[in-house]
Amino acid sequence: MKKFMEFLENILLPIADKLNNNRHLTALRDGFMVALPLIIFGSIFVVIANLPFLDKLLSAEAYAAYQNALGPASAATLSIMGLFVIVGIGYKLTQSYGGEAIYGGVVAVAAFLILNPQELDGVSGVIPTAILGAQGMFLGIFTAFISAELYRFFVKKNWTIKMPVGVPDAVSRSFSALIPITLTLSIFLVIRIVFSFTPFETVQNFIYTIIQAPLTALGSSLAATIFAVLLIQFFWFFGLHGQIIINSVFDPIWYALNDENLKAFQAGTELPNVITKQFIDTFLVGMGGTGMTLAVVILIFLIGKSRQTKELGKLGGPAGIFNVNEPIIFGLPIIMNPLVLIPWLLAPVVVTIFTYFTMSIGLVPKPAGIIVPWTTPIGISGFLATGNSWRGAVLQIVNLLIVMAIWWPFLKILDKNYYEKEKVKN
Amino acid sequence: MKRILLACSSGMSTSLLVSKMKEVAESKGIEVEIWAVSQDKVPSEMERADVLLIGPQMRFLKKKLASDAEKVGIPLDVIDPVDYGRIDGEAVLNKALELIGEN
Repeated sequence: MKKFMEFLENILLPIADKLNNNRHLTALRDGFMVALPLIIFGSIFVVIANLPFLDKLLSAEAYAAYQNALGPASAATLSIMGLFVIVGIGYKLTQSYGGEAIYGGVVAVAAFLILNPQELDGVSGVIPTAILGAQGMFLGIFTAFISAELYRFFVKKNWTIKMPVGVPDAVSRSFSALIPITLTLSIFLVIRIVFSFTPFETVQNFIYTIIQAPLTALGSSLAATIFAVLLIQFFWFFGLHGQIIINSVFDPIWYALNDENLKAFQAGTELPNVITKQFIDTFLVGMGGTGMTLAVVILIFLIGKSRQTKELGKLGGPAGIFNVNEPIIFGLPIIMNPLVLIPWLLAPVVVTIFTYFTMSIGLVPKPAGIIVPWTTPIGISGFLATGNSWRGAVLQIVNLLIVMAIWWPFLKILDKNYYEKEKVKN
Repeated sequence: MKRILLACSSGMSTSLLVSKMKEVAESKGIEVEIWAVSQDKVPSEMERADVLLIGPQMRFLKKKLASDAEKVGIPLDVIDPVDYGRIDGEAVLNKALELIGEN
């Protein structure tokens, strides 16, 4: 068994290494990190604008005025999150090459805007905000990658305007970026013009139809979600940070689905997606820490007899409330422990299916597209993620109970093992 | 003053360890500065540090960070998973001081 584990780790470590040290995936992940504070700021105001019972307390007019007053907070951040992700990716990718990062960021935005429609319903001189949100996410990611690469390429070519000695450094720097930026953006302009002769009319439309729509459709399926969840759990079993590794691939899809729900939530229409970023973070993977180990902590308090598990419960409990669970993962331990492999993989899958069905049949509201910080305790996070619904909080508690039930027999065996070893020692 | 930098995915779980390590250092009268950051901040924070310790769940970063650490001229290592699980401040602190000493 030990040999087999080592064999698997030898396969997984290079995969994790590749995925995480891939320059573009790293830039993608860090780009989302750049956008995250803004996304959360916007989410807070979506929550405040949709406080429960307020629509019953206030007159319809006052409620609309209240919502309108708060609207710009999320409209300027959460709803156009793609824009910040693009800046972030362009910046981080250029930085990783040691280039002037801020130019990488702004070039990416400009290139993205060049590729997009600049009119809406016949009105010209406008940029539709929809494309700055999730709808433009994929195009934005590709554009940021390509523009930052092109920018770097042209900088490396060194076709820069050389300034005479004595010109202030900042002045010559602003010129040094001129040629690479001009060439990079010209290429994007040509691409735009070429596409205007195709039936897609804009690159935005092309990428959305050919890549984003099919990928998000695939990503919103239950099967794909179970697959992603299992991968995360599997990596963690070998003590590797599953989300960091898997999310860089799935985040664009999950955020895009999230944003579709947010738009519908704010418009007061039916929410289209069950699977979203919050579905994953709030109800499955991140609930009480990866693998929902808060349930394990509670079980330890309920049935733990050995000193080892009891100590661990005290050590890992407080952090677990805020969904930080490394003490449990490395301390129980969960990593490389064949005894817990079954509940470790099984519980998240069962919870995924259960959550999916309760939301599909409308027992619990679908996630409203609000991004809740992942350290938010269970109960509160479920309430917020479902657009201020107590059902979201209850679902989290039920999920926790499911995980406890699945873990029960296995933890009992593990605890008994420890207990007997301790007895022999004394 | 020894400066110890810890890194994990978001600097969250390593910060648990930071407070434990600080307690131990204080009780032993060792002057240290210990702080935790998320992995994307490591390259910029490294310049201020004497040693870098990586959370075991991020051990796949070691190779990438090793070349950065070499440039700055500080040692780095992955925290032992058992110490990490126990939030064993003393063991990790000793390890950090040992690495600094060797450097």
